[in-house]
Amino acid sequence: MIPVELQVIGSSLRAIAEEMGAVLVRSAFSANIKERQDCSTALFDRSGAMVTQAEHIPVHLGAMPDAVAAVRRRRPRIGEPWILNDPYRGGTHLPDLTIVTKTPIGFAVTRAHHADVGGADPGSLPAGSKTLDEEGVVIPPTRLDDDAVEQLVSRMRNPGERRGDLRAQLAAHHLAERRIRELSARHGRKKVEAAMAELLAYSERVVRASLSGLPDGEFDGQDVLESSYGTLQLQVTVRLDGDTIDIDFEGTSPQHAGNLNCPLSVTRSACYYVVRCLTAPDLPASGGAFAPITVRAPEGCLVNALPPAAVAAGNTETASRIVDVVFDALAKALPVPAQGQGTMNNVVLGNDAFTYYETIGGGQGACPVAPGPSAVHVAMSNTLNTPIEALELAYPLRIERYALREGSGGVGRFPGGDGVVREIRVLEPCRLSLLTQRRRVAPHGENGGGNGLPGRNLLNGEELPAFATSDLVAGDLLRIETPGGGGWGQSPLRAVPQPVEHEPRIAIENREVEGPPQA
Amino acid sequence: MQALGVDVGGTFTDGVLITDGEVKTTKMLTWERQEGSVVAVASKLGAEAPDRFTHGTTIATNALLERRGARTAFVTTEGFEHLLYLRRQTRARLYRPCADRPPPLVPLLHCAGVRGRMGPHGELVPLDLRSLPDIHPNAEAIAVCLLFSFLDPRHERAVARELRRRYPHAHVVASHEVAPEFREYERASTTVIDAYLGPVLSRYLQALAAECRSRGIRQPLVMRSSGGVATLAEASMHAAFALLSGPAAGVVGAARIASLAGYENAIAFDMGGTSTDVCAIVGGAARRDQERVIEGFPVRLPTLAVHTVGAGGGSIVWEDEGGALRVGPESAGARPGPACYGLGGTRPTVTDANLLLGRLPSHLAGGVELDAKAAAAVLGDLDPQAVIDVVNAEMVRALRVVSVEEGLDPRDFALVAFGGAGPLHACALAEELEIETVLVPAAAGVLSALGLLVADERRDYVRSFVMSLQSAGELPAEGEVDLRYAGQSFELTIPLGPDLEQRFHAAHAARYGYADRARPLELVAVRTAQVRAAPPVDITGPEISTKGPDVLELEGASAWIAPGWGGQTDANGTLVLRRIR
Repeated sequence: MIPVELQVIGSSLRAIAEEMGAVLVRSAFSANIKERQDCSTALFDRSGAMVTQAEHIPVHLGAMPDAVAAVRRRRPRIGEPWILNDPYRGGTHLPDLTIVTKTPIGFAVTRAHHADVGGADPGSLPAGSKTLDEEGVVIPPTRLDDDAVEQLVSRMRNPGERRGDLRAQLAAHHLAERRIRELSARHGRKKVEAAMAELLAYSERVVRASLSGLPDGEFDGQDVLESSYGTLQLQVTVRLDGDTIDIDFEGTSPQHAGNLNCPLSVTRSACYYVVRCLTAPDLPASGGAFAPITVRAPEGCLVNALPPAAVAAGNTETASRIVDVVFDALAKALPVPAQGQGTMNNVVLGNDAFTYYETIGGGQGACPVAPGPSAVHVAMSNTLNTPIEALELAYPLRIERYALREGSGGVGRFPGGDGVVREIRVLEPCRLSLLTQRRRVAPHGENGGGNGLPGRNLLNGEELPAFATSDLVAGDLLRIETPGGGGWGQSPLRAVPQPVEHEPRIAIENREVEGPPQA
Repeated sequence: MQALGVDVGGTFTDGVLITDGEVKTTKMLTWERQEGSVVAVASKLGAEAPDRFTHGTTIATNALLERRGARTAFVTTEGFEHLLYLRRQTRARLYRPCADRPPPLVPLLHCAGVRGRMGPHGELVPLDLRSLPDIHPNAEAIAVCLLFSFLDPRHERAVARELRRRYPHAHVVASHEVAPEFREYERASTTVIDAYLGPVLSRYLQALAAECRSRGIRQPLVMRSSGGVATLAEASMHAAFALLSGPAAGVVGAARIASLAGYENAIAFDMGGTSTDVCAIVGGAARRDQERVIEGFPVRLPTLAVHTVGAGGGSIVWEDEGGALRVGPESAGARPGPACYGLGGTRPTVTDANLLLGRLPSHLAGGVELDAKAAAAVLGDLDPQAVIDVVNAEMVRALRVVSVEEGLDPRDFALVAFGGAGPLHACALAEELEIETVLVPAAAGVLSALGLLVADERRDYVRSFVMSLQSAGELPAEGEVDLRYAGQSFELTIPLGPDLEQRFHAAHAARYGYADRARPLELVAVRTAQVRAAPPVDITGPEISTKGPDVLELEGASAWIAPGWGGQTDANGTLVLRRIR
């Protein structure tokens, strides 16, 4: 059994990560951090292994170790904050600004999705980006002093808000420093380090034990992404062998000219998510859980992209599909949930005065034992919505309708969850950027369950494609209908026709839609 | 002067009667009809015509837990009828895709919309009452929450008036009457809970009033989550205010005991059988919260800042698949109880470990004989000290949440230990947190009932602003304000008075590690309270002197005085323990 003192220190380390998260959220300025909690905080050991993380967002889970590795190579001194967002040097996509500080026992990390990082469109998630440079300021690991803060925020929209959010992140680091000092003074550094090692070993043991219980074998899965340049193929082979799992993306489409590419760190996060769901869903987050998992992908493919590929949607959309495709492979070995909405429905509206970023929940796929919840974030995100009253107080926008998309979940013994309808009227000219998926190919049901309805994007009643940018005028109405989740098992009711493919009309009068039409 | 407090809990009903300083306590099993046990406890204590009678009830909480509230309908702004079902769009568990939250209290069919729209700067679309659909004829309660009613309640007030006219028998609650604060989902959730529980609480309080009348006892005042009491009529109006009255009463009792012992800063530590409640008391007043999540539903109402963890004396100890020793949340409950009670418990509990370490008497009050053999059998090769260390670590973490994480240094506080198991663990926790003084009230086992009896009458008011502090005009002299830097979403509550801005910057720096004096401040809400102080009561108790190691048996609780600790009772019967150097 684990010595009780180590267990006690371990729980204190977890409490530090959680308290860091609370400080960040409560002192932040942009709606995306303070209302939607699009951020994570974590503690690492000296070797760069993630010891504990306050979990808000699964996509941050496996992607943080690369950030620590990138900063570690720069030989930081204790207490110095370093910042980065370069997806090819420890980042995910550019709006995620990561700060790393070295502590006497390892590293403290905060990652927060900032409302803008100086990209081509407000919000810095341009639907039509083709290279990384168009998506904003690319920050390699950089020492973050006051000058660096000023220099960075001056290249981004709403510098005052950016500065405030960075200060909130730094406040979380100050707190970590203080708490780690207190903890080391109380128990001694040796014991604290032993507790960190034990947290890692503990989660590794739990995950290995659980993987041993799964059937051995090799299973493959396929799925697609809808891009402005045609359909992209995701291919995976999953090998379950004793207490290990190997996930190989050989056969996946090469990186493409749009922004659905992602660095391998994001791909790892998505794979870790699936393994967590199937093995140890209640385990406190720790890097030890990743040890039995190998993730491989050919260099230069969609899920292991090389610079200067654009990556804005990789973190949200491709990550969601990686989850689907790994579950698809594992479905051949064990019962898995039906597919959920499979997108985060990224909506960005903004101009020089404001940036509003929201991701909208949808239907969760049903599970072998329960229906899928409605109107929730699925898989790699779990951000809150922006309350209507908070949104209308802050931005020149009005929500006209916010509702369940009734009947959009797939039928089944356990039905899939319903998606959401959200209608936003803009009250002053601004730029729209939409990054969505599952607009043509429906989330599929499992084990005979029905498919969910694909989503729809409508501007003044006209259908927009999955990726779109547009200049809006006051009075324009944007309506997003998010996908429903698939059902699980045959429905006891009579079979209903299944929507599979849905061809949106892309003609938009008097409006420019960037990128070639969808395949 | 005679004062009576009766606190009804899920298992036990506790009573305290103080007659000219003399304290009498009792504890009995709660009856099916709660009003019956209230009166029974009153007569058992010999209370005939108490000058003050206060009561804490779990009727509202139980009705929510068991979902036995009124058939409720929900009316909101057209286009937002599904508000209660959309929640805040997060899933319940990160890695359990299909884990769901409890379903909303109003079926989707009974959620209706009305045309008309308020915006952040006033009316956008006039209210059209003709668009208000018919509500289910059997609805016993209707909750109304329109967008932006916290800034301008005219539409909402008109809708509520119309519903009261159309459905005179339904209990109609409008959101601006209960929680006029920003964020529509949280406000709607609070309003729905209030409407849903209203008829249940009000029926109970009427029955209680009738029962009291027939026995010639005065009508009781009723405890609320805010730590204040209200008249029976007021309490019936808004049931959501009573949801956390039990834990609140304990904290009020702890605050009074600490204050009488000369400690204005204290942490209330109430460890019962299945859970533990902790709350910081600063300057004699318990810390307050503006929002809680109860049974998965946010409730935005003033409550005492009680932090609860799911571990107590009856919690079951187990080893998880990774080899870590864990305590709770499963509990042996009152039946069968811990193995050492000899009533058929088969899994090791914290109490069994305490018994094996010699920290419990061999007989408990009420005639329970403790069986050490049974305790040893269920513990097997588990080290009882390890069990205590693990549960204490949980408790330390809870105590840190309400102190260190709020910017309070526990070394400046006394620890008030109560509940059946609190005084068993207090010395070890105090050592861990470097707390100098532990206070154990004479009525440690029934402190909530004592808290009822000393609680002030209190009415809370909140007014929403959401504007710059400069343009807010004159503020009341007393009360509290919720302030934040313009652009933030979370407020700090600061007492009104001079140097408000400076005090906000200081509080922000203490809480978050930095202040930004250049940023303008935003006033979100002003909170005021009308307080009528409870009449003073004298509290006395037996004289005890102790030096650890020692085991003491108190009213409904046991105390373990660890080696290195000792002390004696003060004039109020409170055992004041300090480290002996």
